[in-house]
Amino acid sequence: MSAIHLKNLVKTFGDFTALKTMDLDIADGEFMALLGPSGCGKSTTMNMIAGMEEPTSGKILFGERDMAGVPMGRRGVGFVFQNYAIFTHMTVRQNLAYGPRMRGAARAEIDRRVGAIAELLQLTPLLDRKADRLSVNILQRVAIGRSAIMEPAIFLLDEPLSNVDAAFRAVMRTELKQLQRQFRQTMVYVTHDQLEAMTMADRIAVMDHGVLQQVGTPLEVYNNPANVFVARFIGAPGMNLIKGRPSESDRGLVVDLGALGVSPPLPDDLASALRGARGDVLYGFRPEQVALAPDGRGLALPVTFVERIGARTIVHLGEGEGAVKAVFDNDVGLAIGQTAIVAPEAASVRLFDASTGRAIRAGG
Amino acid sequence: MSAVTATISEDEMDARTKPALRDEGARLGFRLTLPAQILVLFISAFPLLMQLYISVTDWSPLSGLGWWNAWEMWNSFANYTDLAADARFWSALKRTAIVMVVCVPAEFLLGLALATLFADDFPGKRIFYSILLMPMMVVPAVAGYMFFMLFQSGGPVNDILSTITGTPVTIAWLSDPTLALIAVMIADIWQWTPLMFLILLAGLVGVPEDQIKAATLLGANPWQRFTTIVLPKMKTIIIIALAIRVIENFKIFDTLYIMTGGGPGVATETISVYIYKVTTQDLIWGYVAAIALAILIALSIVAVFAMKRMARARQVPA
Repeated sequence: MSAIHLKNLVKTFGDFTALKTMDLDIADGEFMALLGPSGCGKSTTMNMIAGMEEPTSGKILFGERDMAGVPMGRRGVGFVFQNYAIFTHMTVRQNLAYGPRMRGAARAEIDRRVGAIAELLQLTPLLDRKADRLSVNILQRVAIGRSAIMEPAIFLLDEPLSNVDAAFRAVMRTELKQLQRQFRQTMVYVTHDQLEAMTMADRIAVMDHGVLQQVGTPLEVYNNPANVFVARFIGAPGMNLIKGRPSESDRGLVVDLGALGVSPPLPDDLASALRGARGDVLYGFRPEQVALAPDGRGLALPVTFVERIGARTIVHLGEGEGAVKAVFDNDVGLAIGQTAIVAPEAASVRLFDASTGRAIRAGG
Repeated sequence: MSAVTATISEDEMDARTKPALRDEGARLGFRLTLPAQILVLFISAFPLLMQLYISVTDWSPLSGLGWWNAWEMWNSFANYTDLAADARFWSALKRTAIVMVVCVPAEFLLGLALATLFADDFPGKRIFYSILLMPMMVVPAVAGYMFFMLFQSGGPVNDILSTITGTPVTIAWLSDPTLALIAVMIADIWQWTPLMFLILLAGLVGVPEDQIKAATLLGANPWQRFTTIVLPKMKTIIIIALAIRVIENFKIFDTLYIMTGGGPGVATETISVYIYKVTTQDLIWGYVAAIALAILIALSIVAVFAMKRMARARQVPA
């Protein structure tokens, strides 16, 4: 087991900067998700940790040990590829035995270790099957087993669930999380799917355009996004953000949302944080933290679309800049064309500086 | 649940409609392709049967008989018994085998080495690639003349050797029985390594890169990666490449014939050269037919064996 420290890590490919000064500390035994859209630098970061690519500058430390110049075969890193990269011309047993065999382990030793890992991953009955006709969850287990047999200090997983159909993904997520609990290794998990990151990770590192946006537990990044990007990226649907201007009213500080009207009064702590600031803000709230309100107590918006997905109902309100989504636990009696009065829960309101996109934090 | 029901109903539908449809489709297909099939059958079967027919006679174009009357010269398989006792035939066969055993592995190893080199990027790759493929484009007869001139006693090969050794070298390459065979093999390797290279390169770039990366991460060194991942993944294409070259090399003729004419003496006389000589000089066509048929059978056995191996390599135990 080992912690990972990334210090001032930079990676450029010619003129293109894939990663701009990344600093990240991943604790020993932690499940860290690198989350972001494609091209955000998450895979580059992972490849550098694995040693497949050399950083342009900066350092990667495993515990105290600087990994500069250590070839990928000697880093003690287990890597699960997006398509698992199972050796299809071999049996499951040969796949599992590959690492020890290449390092010249004795035959009896290999058999013992393969037996143990197969038992742990419930692969024993499949050991002599050819690896090219296995279902994805078996492939995932073989891929993990093949790396785990080397007892790596660090496990890296590169979007392992992106080729799996949606129904099966939930099963695989559970299985993966359980495996991580069994192995207790440091795991770095690259994904563009915020649901995967939220459900499995101990902490999430959200990245965009080669820049680390925020690091925190799933609930931290969900509840207190550091900036507009994180607010929009985390959550399905993402946070509602409406441009507005702070203004004083007789009920306290409010945000004037233009055509949408005026927001309910801001909570005291947010109001005091905002008083020093100048200029436009983005008024943000989670679609899940919206309630229908009586007239005059919320934002009046026309209903443009209603998605009923059983347990939840997603209501699309307004259009253009002022578009808002609201998620209700049960069906609501709203139809397209009606006007809904919605009010975000006071405690759930978040404000962002409209010019920098950074969060305006209460008490900060 | 819905997926399961869908599958069942699809199966049921297949069960009801398929046999009738299949029969009708097959009948129509048979009728539509019949003219082409007859043509192909004629092209391939007719010469074979004619050959078989002539091979049991003493017929020759000088005999004054039409080939269809060759039965008048029936010699009750004497051609085949003669063949078994024909020392020149057996020595030609042995020589052909020697050329094959040297040339095909040499072409394979060179081709594989070059393919490995070309799988990675290096400066000037495209230019070298074009140069490398050039021998394959040269007409074999032209290649024959080229090597004929290169290996003259006053030719460039000896000139180069002279420069290297510092003493005048005047080896009579094509007049020495051993050296002539070597010269012929060099020409064949020169001309056909590019084909091997091209086929193997296609196989090599088809090896999934992430499997190689996975092997590296598991601690395999380059040689181990090559033997445990790359070669097994290329197995089918290697068998194909070898089969092509074995069959082609067995028929080695044009380059060789221009370089040495099978000589000195019979030192470079391969099966094809021998058949050519018997056909054009001795004019005993009944015998030629017997030789050709014997070789065809031998080559077919090799081809069938190779294809069986290939099918087995691709088969997966359920």
